[in-house]
Amino acid sequence: MKSCLIVDDSRVVRKVAGRIIHDLQFEVREAGDGAEAMALCREKMPDAILLDWNMPVMNGLDFLRALRREDGGSKPIVVFCSTENDAEHIGEAMRSGANEFIMKPFDADIIHSKFAEVGLV
Amino acid sequence: MDETTFQDVAELALNGSGQLIPPSKSYLIEARLAPILRREGLAEVSDLMGVIKARPASKLGTEAVAALTSKTTGFFTGRETLTRIVDHVLPMMAPTAADNTLRVWCAGGAAGQEACSLAILLEESDNEALEDVRVEILSTDISEAMTSAARAGQFGHFDVQKGLSIHRLLKHFSRLDTGDWQISPKLAGRIAVRTHNLLKDASGLGEFDVILCRNVISGMARPMRSRVLLNIARQLSDGGVLFLGEGETADGLVDGLKASRDVRGAFARDVERSALTAAA
Repeated sequence: MKSCLIVDDSRVVRKVAGRIIHDLQFEVREAGDGAEAMALCREKMPDAILLDWNMPVMNGLDFLRALRREDGGSKPIVVFCSTENDAEHIGEAMRSGANEFIMKPFDADIIHSKFAEVGLV
Repeated sequence: MDETTFQDVAELALNGSGQLIPPSKSYLIEARLAPILRREGLAEVSDLMGVIKARPASKLGTEAVAALTSKTTGFFTGRETLTRIVDHVLPMMAPTAADNTLRVWCAGGAAGQEACSLAILLEESDNEALEDVRVEILSTDISEAMTSAARAGQFGHFDVQKGLSIHRLLKHFSRLDTGDWQISPKLAGRIAVRTHNLLKDASGLGEFDVILCRNVISGMARPMRSRVLLNIARQLSDGGVLFLGEGETADGLVDGLKASRDVRGAFARDVERSALTAAA
């Protein structure tokens, strides 16, 4: 079974996304900020990461840049998931190593479609 | 909705577009007609049917048929077929293209998602065979609401996130202040849009080398499916091919329209245009 780490400071978003991604046959772990996510990645790199932008402690962009410098940190497919959805922000996320980008709000079809785009499902 | 009203609506849809509305789908009727009811200040579907019956020539009947029939679709639906058309079928046809132009028709093309997807693939193609030919795409739909949307080339937040990668979205669309996304002038320049009912003669649209009519005929009554396919097949150029949706077939519906020998999964005329007839 593939694994997905959901990183978002909103418990509600983690729960909603978690259920959708679980239904796509992923083992799901959750983190509330970038630092927590980094600790979980060091334990075990997930196959996929759904990553929020604005979070306390360590934001999504800083986490992504740090992740890509980690041992094995180039492996996870990172799907950014943010309300910052103008072209500049999306471009910055992609240049920083994201594989796909979901603009919030999202639904199950969007997650499915985006995961398919990057070959996760 | 009472039984009489359901029958009236089903008959209107059948005659207007060939679409069969089974009783199990009656719940869809109210949802689809709601915008028209609201605009006309009518309370019930039966009121609308009363107005349409009293004024059979009015535009309202056509609009109701379109609302009942037209389906929305997504970007890159049936991706494999679209890729094959751009990577193999059009390049194969290119050397013999009349006036160096290949014409593609998305029949029942909703708000233009299928046409856009083809235009994106053409923009991205580096196939040498396509360098010296123009590929024109026509998207038609029965619904004027759909074709106006296709002409505007604007798509919502949820639409652009289904079937489109973020790379393609950023490359081929720009974000509007409303939060919608506008297709690039380059894509728009490849696509023409017309309102057209597939039950009607299509000779005014011209000839096409590739016709896509996917997931359109499956909901139709059999004689209407024949009629639609006949109208479409008459617009196929010599050597032109027709793609239907997955699980749809032209077999037994039009005499002279057969599985293509050159293109897997497609249909082609094997007689002169004038010899095509609806199968008995």
